[in-house]
Amino acid sequence: MMFMDPCAKCEEMLQPFLDRELSADEHAIAESHLNECGYCRKRYKFEETLRRYVRQAVVEEMPPELKQKLAALRTPL
Amino acid sequence: MSEAQPETDARGIAEDARSRVRFEEEVLELADQVYRVARRLVSTREEAEDLVQETYARAFRSWRSYTPGTNLRAWLFRILTNLNIDRGRREQRTPSTQPLEEGDYFLYNRLEADSGTEDEARIEQRLSQDEIVHALSEVPHDFRDVIVLVDIGDFTYQDAAQILDIPIGTVMSRLHRGRRILKQELAEASVGEEDR
Repeated sequence: MMFMDPCAKCEEMLQPFLDRELSADEHAIAESHLNECGYCRKRYKFEETLRRYVRQAVVEEMPPELKQKLAALRTPL
Repeated sequence: MSEAQPETDARGIAEDARSRVRFEEEVLELADQVYRVARRLVSTREEAEDLVQETYARAFRSWRSYTPGTNLRAWLFRILTNLNIDRGRREQRTPSTQPLEEGDYFLYNRLEADSGTEDEARIEQRLSQDEIVHALSEVPHDFRDVIVLVDIGDFTYQDAAQILDIPIGTVMSRLHRGRRILKQELAEASVGEEDR
């Protein structure tokens, strides 16, 4: 089944745009498109929020005792 | 020759020891980041702790193979990901054959449908922390490794390519597909939520 995307090119640039991996020229193109296209702007905002939320949800801090165990692995002086 | 230059040798040994201490301190400063990534590469906290300890034991043993001035984080995380692969923790799932494009837009469209609510609140209402953790764990390893390195480890595509020893184009395609799989899993979780 063909899936129609109103902004296929933008979709292609959305991920590297959010990852700050576009070249300066590509970044400028993406930004100017986001200024003009409400659909992509909303998707961009949604993706950005989702990523932030996922990151917050999955990050688990290191147990303090593990840090001590790692320090104990150091080469004795 | 060493007999003729005892002072030089002693200085060399002392300098060597100082370099090693410096190296070990720098590596230990990265422990929080290593744990955060390790925790999402494996299923349980215990496995993550074992993996991090093995990583540090190996890093301390092989410190001479690190070239000062090069990317220490990438060097250390390469040890981590290699050990993870070596330990056979990759219980591969068959990647979904469903058309992922639909899942991608599905999540957006579902959550977008609740108009009048901010993105964050909408996502929060529909997806619990446990559901998100579970959804990420359902992403097959090859794809998840890249997502975890880039999104949790904050590595660039180039660094992720170096760590996993794969071309940068592969990093990009796995990241793209992996994020789609993740969104598909999240969309399914959000459907479940609605049915309750």
